[in-house]
Amino acid sequence: MFASIYGQTIPKFDSPAGGQGWLIDLAFTFSPLVEHTADDTVVLNVSGQNLLFGSPANSGPAVDDNATIHSVRALASEIVRRAAQLNFKVNVSIAANPDAAIHAARAFKGVTVIPIGEESLQLGNLSLKTLDYSLADIEQERVAGIEETLELWGLRTFSDFAGLPLAGVAQRLGQAGVRLQKLAQGKSDRQMVLVQPPLGFEQSLELEHPVAELEPLSFILSRLLNQLCANLHSHALATNELRLHLNLEDRSEHERTISLPIPMQNPKTLLRLLLFEIEALPPRAAVISITIIAEPVKPRMAQTGLFIPLTPEPEKLELTLARLVKLVGADKVGSPEILDTHRPDAFRMKRFSISTQNKSRNRQPATGNRQCVMGFRVFRPPWRAEVQTLHGRPTRIRAQDVKLSCLVRGQVVCASGPWRTSGDWWRPDVWVRDEWDIAVADPIPKQSEMLCRIYRDVQSEEWFVEGIYD
Amino acid sequence: MLNANMKSAVAKKEIELALADRFGAVFQRRQKQPAEIVPTGVGEIDARIDGFPRGSITEIHGTASSGRTSLLLSALAVATMQEETCALVDTSDTFDLSSAAKARVDGERLLWVRCGGSVERAFKATDLLLQSGGFGLVALNLADVAAKYTRRIITSWWFRFRRSIENTPTTLVVLTPVACIRSCAALVLEVKSEGPVWPNTVSFDLENSDAKLTMKETRERPTPHLSLVTDSTFPPETAYLASPYPLKAGAASRLLTHSNLLQGIRIRVNQERPVSWITNPARFKTRLH
Repeated sequence: MFASIYGQTIPKFDSPAGGQGWLIDLAFTFSPLVEHTADDTVVLNVSGQNLLFGSPANSGPAVDDNATIHSVRALASEIVRRAAQLNFKVNVSIAANPDAAIHAARAFKGVTVIPIGEESLQLGNLSLKTLDYSLADIEQERVAGIEETLELWGLRTFSDFAGLPLAGVAQRLGQAGVRLQKLAQGKSDRQMVLVQPPLGFEQSLELEHPVAELEPLSFILSRLLNQLCANLHSHALATNELRLHLNLEDRSEHERTISLPIPMQNPKTLLRLLLFEIEALPPRAAVISITIIAEPVKPRMAQTGLFIPLTPEPEKLELTLARLVKLVGADKVGSPEILDTHRPDAFRMKRFSISTQNKSRNRQPATGNRQCVMGFRVFRPPWRAEVQTLHGRPTRIRAQDVKLSCLVRGQVVCASGPWRTSGDWWRPDVWVRDEWDIAVADPIPKQSEMLCRIYRDVQSEEWFVEGIYD
Repeated sequence: MLNANMKSAVAKKEIELALADRFGAVFQRRQKQPAEIVPTGVGEIDARIDGFPRGSITEIHGTASSGRTSLLLSALAVATMQEETCALVDTSDTFDLSSAAKARVDGERLLWVRCGGSVERAFKATDLLLQSGGFGLVALNLADVAAKYTRRIITSWWFRFRRSIENTPTTLVVLTPVACIRSCAALVLEVKSEGPVWPNTVSFDLENSDAKLTMKETRERPTPHLSLVTDSTFPPETAYLASPYPLKAGAASRLLTHSNLLQGIRIRVNQERPVSWITNPARFKTRLH
């Protein structure tokens, strides 16, 4: 059962939706299955809607008896009444197929209900000029030719055209003529082209009492995220960005955005990430309203292989990274990247993610017979050292890191250097230094020498231990 | 007495056979599967122990400049080259990126956690990583923590770590100054330095305009203040200067980086656990690049 709404008065708005926006909104209040046929016409599937809007005594599935007709007429009247509340005048017709309903709505004023099997009878007197060629999927170039042909045949109304023999119409007008004749007969098997409501993945909640603690807030966030993720899941989508907007008791706002390296739709993972984020930067006052907006994206499709090494699960990895950030700080966790400069120990931390690894996949064979590269342990910051020199060459050294109680102390038994390095002379933090590799005899007997790299800062004339070879 | 023991053994076997249909082979001793390994990348060590066993803890202990970090970098390089995801929990924030890059450690596959000297944070971070799963190699670097502190680490931590990675493909490598993991470690390696490898030096007199280069073996003694230093693998004519002072044109053609000052370390590795009858240590030499 299909209802068609034809707007007699279409307002001209500046918005792109124009005048038909209200018509679609009106249709959506009665059914989720709506077709936007033309600027002034919409069709909606109202099967079963008469149970909600019509008379309670009638529950027939089709327009085939008096009681059901009464029920669907009540539904059509309700549509007209609601349009009138919006100051719009509409025609509403209900029929067994959408095309018959469209023609009836355009032709008859007020409410029209066409019982099953009476389409041809009801539409028979309509002029052929009201026949909508677009419903028969006919190209605009052919419309004028067909109209001229029908006029030459002396056809004026739907019933004239409907009464022609099918074989003759097919012979003269082809398949387009057959489809047009079906329209004139009030028959149609066309599927509706449904309007997709705009996707909005947003959940909001106004709180009755301000919430100042994390635990009660987590319950509310959990509820909102469950709804949000269920909505995403029903549309086969995931999210890679979550925006949290909190209105606070002191009338200020608190916004946090979580960017995820991979699309997710697991509410538990998202909840924990949100809680870690709030914990890291808590709002200034109690929360009075919460809004969570998810950016919808296609979910991650990953094909694992038998011979690909195991990698951490992305969701678990994100949680682990969030926990590590909470434990040691945001700038202390990530992938190291050496900067393109000669300045010693210049690096930055990148966000660690599995997705970037997959891009640069170039598996290399294990090289068991490679020669081992000498390791170095760098002290951050370098240890200030007391160095005794003879003719500029270090002979004794003493340096200590207070925090770790480590010690570099003793006689320099072998030294190689100096090697001067400098750079960034155009910047205020210019660096010039003379480096030495030294072997320090350990004061503890039977211990091996400690191999250190030390340097003398040429500007400050101070000695530092940069690190040890290990 | 013997008969009684035999009777009990026979009775036990009969009960096992009777229950075999219902419970399968639960009474039989399970054969230990050969452990999967992560190669260390050092041929001399891999020839003896194949590598670090997966699903268990490997401890590498030794004094400063003994070669622990070199061994770890080599293992990390091999693991990252094989597309394993690795993690390094750096207790005292001493991980050197330039030496790691020379060892060909892929930084994109390495999660570096800098704990700023806090042993407690390092253990918590390691626990989080092991619980997360999916890492091929997790390294806990306690090498710069004083031995008196590492000895105080409660054993339950090590039991917890061992339990976390049991039956997983993860291997946990711990660098310590002294052996402290005891029975929780499946493999314990003691690393010792057998001395550094210094470059050969060449005496040079600046006042003599017709200076002639002559090589001298001065590995054991301090190098002179002004010296031309050459790698023994290069002929003397390719000598280069290890001094900030200017040199006559044509005397030096190669540029020198600071790493050229020390050539490498000779390292000896003893396997302490599991105890083996064959106790030949593995010997290898680290290199600059």
